[in-house]
This record gives sequence, C-alpha cells and structure tokens, in this order.
Amino acid sequence: MGSRSAEGEQVPLTDEYDALISTTDVELLKRAWRNEKAAPEILRFESDLIIRVREQIELMEETVEEKSTVGTDPLSVSLYQMDLDRTLFLLRSYLRIRIQKIEKYMFHIRKTEELWNRLSKDEKFFTERCTDDLKKHLEESVLSTLPENYQSYERQSVISEEVDMVPEPRLDTFVLCRSKEYLTGIQLEDGPVDDRSKLFEMEPDVLYFICYKSIKPLVESGKIDLL
Amino acid sequence: MAGQSDHELSLFSAEELEFIAEDEIVDIVPNLKMDPLCLISGDFGPFTPQIVTQVPLWLAIALKKRGKCSICPPQWMTVEKLTQVLEVERDSQEMSEHLPFHYVEISRLLFDHARDNIPDAYMVRSLIEDIRDVRFHKVETDLEGFNGRTIAVKIKNLSAMEVNIVRPFIGRALQAFYKHDSSELIPDPERAPDRRPQVAHNAPRRQLRR
Amino acid sequence: MSCSGGCHLMCSPVKILNMYGRKACQLVKEFASGEKGQLTPFNNDLFEQVVSECSQHHLELQSLIRKMQEEGLDVQTARNADHYGALIHLFSIVRNKRCLTAYVYNRAETVRNLLWKIGPVLPKEIEEKLNHWEEEYFKKHSAALKSYMSKALVDLTVDMVPPKDPYIQVRVLEDIREGIVLSDDKNPNFARHSMHFLKRTDAEKYISRGLMEELTG
Repeated sequence: MGSRSAEGEQVPLTDEYDALISTTDVELLKRAWRNEKAAPEILRFESDLIIRVREQIELMEETVEEKSTVGTDPLSVSLYQMDLDRTLFLLRSYLRIRIQKIEKYMFHIRKTEELWNRLSKDEKFFTERCTDDLKKHLEESVLSTLPENYQSYERQSVISEEVDMVPEPRLDTFVLCRSKEYLTGIQLEDGPVDDRSKLFEMEPDVLYFICYKSIKPLVESGKIDLL
Repeated sequence: MAGQSDHELSLFSAEELEFIAEDEIVDIVPNLKMDPLCLISGDFGPFTPQIVTQVPLWLAIALKKRGKCSICPPQWMTVEKLTQVLEVERDSQEMSEHLPFHYVEISRLLFDHARDNIPDAYMVRSLIEDIRDVRFHKVETDLEGFNGRTIAVKIKNLSAMEVNIVRPFIGRALQAFYKHDSSELIPDPERAPDRRPQVAHNAPRRQLRR
Repeated sequence: MSCSGGCHLMCSPVKILNMYGRKACQLVKEFASGEKGQLTPFNNDLFEQVVSECSQHHLELQSLIRKMQEEGLDVQTARNADHYGALIHLFSIVRNKRCLTAYVYNRAETVRNLLWKIGPVLPKEIEEKLNHWEEEYFKKHSAALKSYMSKALVDLTVDMVPPKDPYIQVRVLEDIREGIVLSDDKNPNFARHSMHFLKRTDAEKYISRGLMEELTG
C-alpha cells in the first residue's frame, strides 16, 4: 500500500494523471486511510508517509499562524486553515481506525508476529498496555473465580491444545476493491473449494467485491486499493 | 460466525463520501486577485478576475460562499448531456460510464452552494434524480440474479453512493454463500495445472451488469 | 470469546430447570439482546450463579475421577459411564467459562467504546451500570489511550467527522440588539433580514434560538 511513491520504486504508472495525483502525500494518506478503513485486519503502518504528512502539517500550522499575525488577508488564511483541517482529519482518522482495530483484536495482534510488526512504536506500546489491562480485567472478574485448570484467558482449559479463545478478524470478509493496472492470474486460493485453482483477473478501474483473503497480498503490495 | 461478523459493511458515512468528493477538481472563474495558494493538498491559483482556474471542489465552494468566484458546473452536468445519459441508462441494462464516481455528491454540493451557477438548475436536478432512480432499479434487478456460484462480483460504473448502499447487501450475501459453500465437504479433485483460463475467468464471477 | 456453536441447543425450550449451561446462556443472551453500544447493569446475581455452577461441576468432575482411580481404572483410557459423566462436567465448565468470559469481554468492548462516544468522564446514570472491575478497567484504558495520544502527539478524540468550512452564511430573522458575542470581537449589526458571514460556532447559538437561519446555495 502506497509503496510505489513512498519508497520511490520505479513502477510504471498507467497514465500521467495518476502520477500527478499520487505524488501528493495527502493523496497517499487518503489511500492509506481508505485501505485501513476497508481492510478487516490491521495493515502496515505507513511510517514514512506519516512522518512526511506530520512535517507538512507542522509547517502549515506555522504558516497559518504567521499569516494571521502579520495581517495577511483573512480570506487566504481561512483557506489555508481549511486545507490544514482536512489533512488533520485524515491523519487523525487514519490513526484512530488503527487504534480501534487494535482495541478490538489486541490479543490476536499481540501474539501474531506478522501483525505485531505492522504497528508503529507508539501503537506497540499501546497494545501492550491494553492487553495487560484487559487480561487483568478478565482475570479479576471471571478467570480467578474459576477452578484452577480453567484460568487462562486464551485457552478454554489446560487440556486445550491450542489458543481457542482469542477473537480474530474475519479475513473471509468481502471487500470492495479496484486495481489500477490489468491484473491477471489472481489465485482465489481461499475461495470455495470448487474454485480454488481458478484464476481471476481484474480490469483496471473496475470495482470488484471479493473475499479479502484472496487479494490480501495484492493489497499489501499496493497493487490493489480498497474502498 | 460467533457474532464476529460485524466488520463495518457500510464503510464510509455520507459525510466521508462528501469529504472525498470535495477533492474533485472543478473550474472556477474568480472575481478577485489573489496569490497562488500553496496548500498541503497541492498548489492552486494564481487567482485573477475572469480567468478560469482549477481548484478542488471544497476550495471552489469556500470561495463561492464568500462571493469570490463562480463555479463552472462540470461538463456532464448540463440538461443536454444528462438527457442523453438518462436515455442510455433507460435503454441499456448496463450502467452508463458517463458519470463520475462521485456524481451524486458533486451534484448535491453544487446544488447546495452554487445553484445560481448551474443553468437550468431545476431541470438538471430532476434529471439527476431520474438517473439515480433508473440506476438503482438496475442494481436491484442485478442483485436478484445473485446465486451461490458468486464468489466475486464485478461492478462496472457503479457510483460511490450506489456502492455504499449495495455494499451491506452484497457483502452479507457473498459471505453467506461463501460460508455455506466452503463448509460443504466436497472432495478436492486433482487440479489440472493447464486449466483453461477462459473457464476460470468466467466461472468465479457473476457480473453485476449483464 | 463469544458464545458460539451449541448455544441454541442449550437454550431450547425443554423444561428442565437445572439444565447445565442454561444460566450461562441466559447471561450471554441478556447481553446480546441489549441495544448495541448500550449497557445494562452488570448482572451480578446471574453471574455468581454461573460461577458457582462451575465449582459444582468441578467438584463432581473430580469425584468421578477419584472414583475411577479407586476402581483401579486408567482415567485416560477407560470408557465407562463415569468417564462420560466426567466429560459432561468438563464440557459444562468450559461452556460456562466461555459464556462468562464472553459476557465480560463484550461488555469491556462496550465500555471502551463509551470512551470514544462520551469521553473519559461518564455521566452517573451510565457509570452506575458498570461494576467495580469495569470502572477500574475504564479508567485504565482511558489512561492507556491518553498516554498513546500524548506520545503520538495527536488528539484522536476530536475530528470524528470530516471538517466543514468553519464559516457559514446566515440571514438574521429577528433583530438582535443585545448580548452579541463573537469570537473575533467584532460587533456587527444584526438587523432583521441582514446577511452575514459568521463562524459556524458563533452562529449556532442564534440559529438554535430561531434568530438566524443558515443559507445555502
């Protein structure tokens, strides 16, 4: 997601207009925001992008401050302010969705390395605190009142062979997505048994409703956008 | 399912859709002189009276509200164009491709804030409403054709608002089909590696448009 | 941690008063039938009953195992009536545990959402519905979120909806002569039918009193 311009990869773009709009960081942030909103699981934290956006926000805050004190015409100050407000909203909403996903699936994220590595430093710290708090809450209110062999918050009993009580996001959820390029040979691996080996193709700029699991790698690599 | 299927199916609120649509670029004719604006979302201007320039819709509306410009309605927002679109929509089972993804939001924003810049505003508005109705009816008809073979749906030219309205339905329906399908104990036959892509291409999708 | 699977089985309207797992199921149903996002008072009474049911099952389970051991049977492999009896007790404990945990876990989720919807200070009528542990949990989680926000230098409790133009155009419906307070210290003449361009936050109080109307288009 967002990897093509964020990391300067030389991926040929389909047309100039796309190149033009994907160059602004706000546009990239909007894309990250939509993807994060639409994906059932937490996606990789866009650390470079967020750093850049924050810098631009800070700069704009200074500009607005400066302009309003030196008595620049109030019209353009209000326009700069609106632009700033819009960017701030995107940033906050992006971070908020992530925090809310962490709240919902904290135990699962905490113990799944792949997901854990997608978090920012601050998010990791938050997740640790959250899981400690909720674990303690469960222990105090329920688990400690149960017989000894049943006091784990993630296993039903000591004889459970695997973790069987931790909620996970449903990756077989259907999402709406769009590809910029013509994609062929998408394996619907996790689809119904009957279609498992069938190949799927996506035309550019056409919307598809599809099982998230099947396109997960393409979302991660930034080839497909969710909306 | 265990009560965990509450992943928001209607993802974007009406306000959020409007927010996204506000980034669409429109032409304006300023009536003031103002230096270029170097915004986080891009550079716009300079603004010179009577010289057309391009700005995002939110900026256009802000200027318009302050009496500093008139907004040129997009090309598709004319009686002539919309009459054609309506005809095409009525004649064909397919969704026409002549309208932008955010046509509902864009037209509403313009009606709310720049009605005096839209020639034949009343007519334009009622045409857009008619188009919306026709399109919805088509979507509904298509949804009736849903079946258990559906594992992915291709949607051509559906607009943002329309997507948002059908999203909960399609999402749940597909999930239900998928769930019932995958829980069937079908023995997994050997898969020929050289399976013809044509078969693969047609089978897994049921097109929304016919 | 939700009550899954055989819940319906246990809740079928068979009239057996002491059916195992029935109370636990009631507890989960009570939560599930409540309006989403709203809390009912913590049902301590029912909760405790389920907890003591678990202890009871545990005692019976242990006594069955002891009995088998006394009879010289291998507990792991023996398949007599006592073995199956023990299994039923084991499953009942596990089932009850899942229901109890689901009840607390899902309530905890609602409690966290209150933080987003209402903020760190809950009104009395809502706070009353939390039990002691939940109040503690609410405070701790609220502190965790606060700490994240101060570390990440971002306030996530504002901007819940996309921003609008901070200014709106209004028309004055009735003369407003007194008590005009605007954030920019200006003192406009709000004569009837006059039109103004005001900060939304300034105008709202007049609009809500019917003294102004917002103009669009």
